[in-house]
Amino acid sequence: MPGSVANFLWCLGTLFELCFVVCSLVRKSFGRYFFLNLYFILSVLASAARFVTLTSFGSDSDQYNYTYFYTDALLTLGLFVALISLYSHVFGELGFSKQIRFGAVLLLLGTAAFSYGVVQQSEGRLATKFAYELSQNLYFVGLVLTYILWGAVLKLREARTRLVQFILALGLYFSAYAASYALLNLADKYAVIQYLSQLLACLLPLSLSITMLRHAEDSRIATAPLVAVQR
Amino acid sequence: MSRKLGTLVLALGILVGAMGLKTVLTAKTKGTVLMANNPAPFPTIKQKPKP
Repeated sequence: MPGSVANFLWCLGTLFELCFVVCSLVRKSFGRYFFLNLYFILSVLASAARFVTLTSFGSDSDQYNYTYFYTDALLTLGLFVALISLYSHVFGELGFSKQIRFGAVLLLLGTAAFSYGVVQQSEGRLATKFAYELSQNLYFVGLVLTYILWGAVLKLREARTRLVQFILALGLYFSAYAASYALLNLADKYAVIQYLSQLLACLLPLSLSITMLRHAEDSRIATAPLVAVQR
Repeated sequence: MSRKLGTLVLALGILVGAMGLKTVLTAKTKGTVLMANNPAPFPTIKQKPKP
């Protein structure tokens, strides 16, 4: 069984995820951000499945390994769909909804084909390796997609507070995860770094919940005025 | 260039960029894995005994 700090962070993260869903229901925005809510509901269910497997079989069992990697692939897929739904919010009004759906399907199929290409030569447990590879690759696709969305929000001067803060939170989450991964490789002897990724997983639903509670759907942020360059 | 072709090119560009980024980031890893969801503790991977 993992240590008490890991368990505490796990419980805290799951509570924050539930908190986001409750906040969405209270602020009557569940349908508007349905895929973000779906991602957090799936995450809570994954936590429950992982907890049952962990307590029944232990952290070094094959059962926990399988549950962990398969649920992770499912969650990454959920996060990808949630990200695409944010794209629809930003570009939907410009009449690009059809192109976004087409692009998302292409990206998903491309990532799946690439992942299959990587794992097809390995022996045995092909499905598990595929789930793991797909999860990793989709994470990196999500990282690039978030930065593009960040750029689009700046370029289009998007003013919807909630949407902008959701995208900023996701961008920070993806970036911090990549940084924690690099740190883990550089200095894995420090135990505190191992808790960093768990802490980040707690901060995402917390920041989204705060945004949901503090800002109404119609609230807008003032965009920075253009800087006039004198010639 | 049609919108469909533009989307196709953009999707391929994103895919190539993402896989390139992954290759750069995971080039010198010590076997650690990147799992970006849920705060559940990472499973202990059993090492296979060497023959």
